[in-house]
Amino acid sequence: MLQAIFTGFFGLAAIWFAVVVFRTSSMVRSALALLFSQAAIGGMFLAMQTEFLGVLQIMMMATEMAIMAIFMVMYMMDPGGLGGMDMTHQKRASQVAGALGALAALAVAFLTGWGPIAGEVRPAEQVYGLGIEIMERSMLIFETAGVTILTAMIAATAIAIKRRGSK
Amino acid sequence: MNAVLAILMLLTGAYLVAVLEDWASTGRLRLAGPITSGLALLGRESIVPRQPDRIFFEVAPPLLLVAALLAAAVLPLSPNLIVADLATGALFVNAALAYVMVALLMAGWGPDGAYAMVGGFRFLGQLIAYSMLIVMPITAVAMRAESLFTTEVVESQAALPNAIYQPVGFVAFFVAAMAVAFLPPLDLPTAPGELAGGVMAEYTGWRLAVMRLARAVLVVTLAAAVSVFYLGGWLGPVLPPWAWSAIKTLLVAATMLLAGRYVPRLRETHVLEWGWKIGIPLALLNIFYVGVLLLVV
Amino acid sequence: MTTLTVALVVGAILFGIGLYGVLSQTNLVMIMMGVEVMLGGAMVNLVAFWRFLHPEAYAGQMFVLIVMTVMALEMAVGFGVGTGRFRAKGSVEMEEAQDLKG
Repeated sequence: MLQAIFTGFFGLAAIWFAVVVFRTSSMVRSALALLFSQAAIGGMFLAMQTEFLGVLQIMMMATEMAIMAIFMVMYMMDPGGLGGMDMTHQKRASQVAGALGALAALAVAFLTGWGPIAGEVRPAEQVYGLGIEIMERSMLIFETAGVTILTAMIAATAIAIKRRGSK
Repeated sequence: MNAVLAILMLLTGAYLVAVLEDWASTGRLRLAGPITSGLALLGRESIVPRQPDRIFFEVAPPLLLVAALLAAAVLPLSPNLIVADLATGALFVNAALAYVMVALLMAGWGPDGAYAMVGGFRFLGQLIAYSMLIVMPITAVAMRAESLFTTEVVESQAALPNAIYQPVGFVAFFVAAMAVAFLPPLDLPTAPGELAGGVMAEYTGWRLAVMRLARAVLVVTLAAAVSVFYLGGWLGPVLPPWAWSAIKTLLVAATMLLAGRYVPRLRETHVLEWGWKIGIPLALLNIFYVGVLLLVV
Repeated sequence: MTTLTVALVVGAILFGIGLYGVLSQTNLVMIMMGVEVMLGGAMVNLVAFWRFLHPEAYAGQMFVLIVMTVMALEMAVGFGVGTGRFRAKGSVEMEEAQDLKG
């Protein structure tokens, strides 16, 4: 019962901050609202006793969203949000699409019989279990992910670097 | 009871760090210095800039304090004096310290001032330089302890403290800890003299008192993290465990504060260059070295 | 109303908000923020399924780790592409990116 309350509280915080992301006109507020939404998602993970993933989510999202704040200040036209521009297009269609997507997911959530709910898990066991899983069964997945990360780093640096010689 | 005792020791540590910092930078030992300057700050007028981003301006100092306190909550002072013995304690320290950066970004953007914004964004550049250097040595420490519990990390150093077992990791973590607490020579966000105080420039009155307190608590937390991960926490022959923790933490804090007196402030480009070109290969070598030691020796 | 249902409802609503954001915003950075919200909703569902239906199979947590990695990667490459476009054209608005000819 307590778990449902905490999960619901963090879930409401995540939803509220996600709404603030798209309704505010200040860009840095938007980026930091996304940060707190993802941190609330990390809080939901902690409430569901998935300790490692919760701590990992909170840590990674702080750094990622701060970098996103910098990019917003660099590339967007009104970072302070004092101009009051409207930066949306096809508003009605996207609201309908968003509502339909949420309704479809809700229908699946409520109409499916999910089966018996499992019992307790222990956090200390999870870190060990996740480590063994990475090293034994999912080793190939993790190695592929590692190579993908390296490729993405090289690709992003290559695109973003200024060309030598000219300018 | 545990939490109250831990907070008391943390505040004592922060007070002593403030005295040490004053002594290191002015050369005069004033034991009542923090109390008098704190009272003076509380009595002064609290000026708010003309058009601040109100939410960020108000939230930044408490968030800095909360981030430092959360990181200190998982560090043990003695085998049964730990506020929250999380199963992922070593990782949680890093997660809480990431919010130091969020708080400084808010403090930079909030007051709508040029120097504050430059200071805040410079700290983001510093974060990109130090963030790998904070996590990779913790990985090597967790490899030796075979667990992420901070109490087990300390107990794994019973034979040999990690500072001798993994010296490269110790140096990298020490430098990265100075970068997180933005102590000189890595004090790019506040940069007294160059940025006129940087992120702390636009704060006055009681908000500045909260920010300075948060900074002292942050230095204590990082010194405690260095002593737990690398110097063996509460292990030691004669004195009670909490006394060893306190001595080691204060020694590390004093070393951090003194080191900044003799090195000029590092430039942003140099911090990024050296962090990525020298720091990360060294940290990776450290992990490899610890792995070889653990598996072969 | 079990915790599983609460988590699934939150995940569904986050997905809907993210989808609205992706389709309605004109700026590349805002579209990427919408994608982050959608992936966050998907991760909430994944963790709820792992915790309440199959806590013995750690492949569920592995999936969430991979989704987190993908979030970071698509942000990195997306901002790299955005930097390139900003240098070439001076803005990252999607409305101005509709014609093929430069």
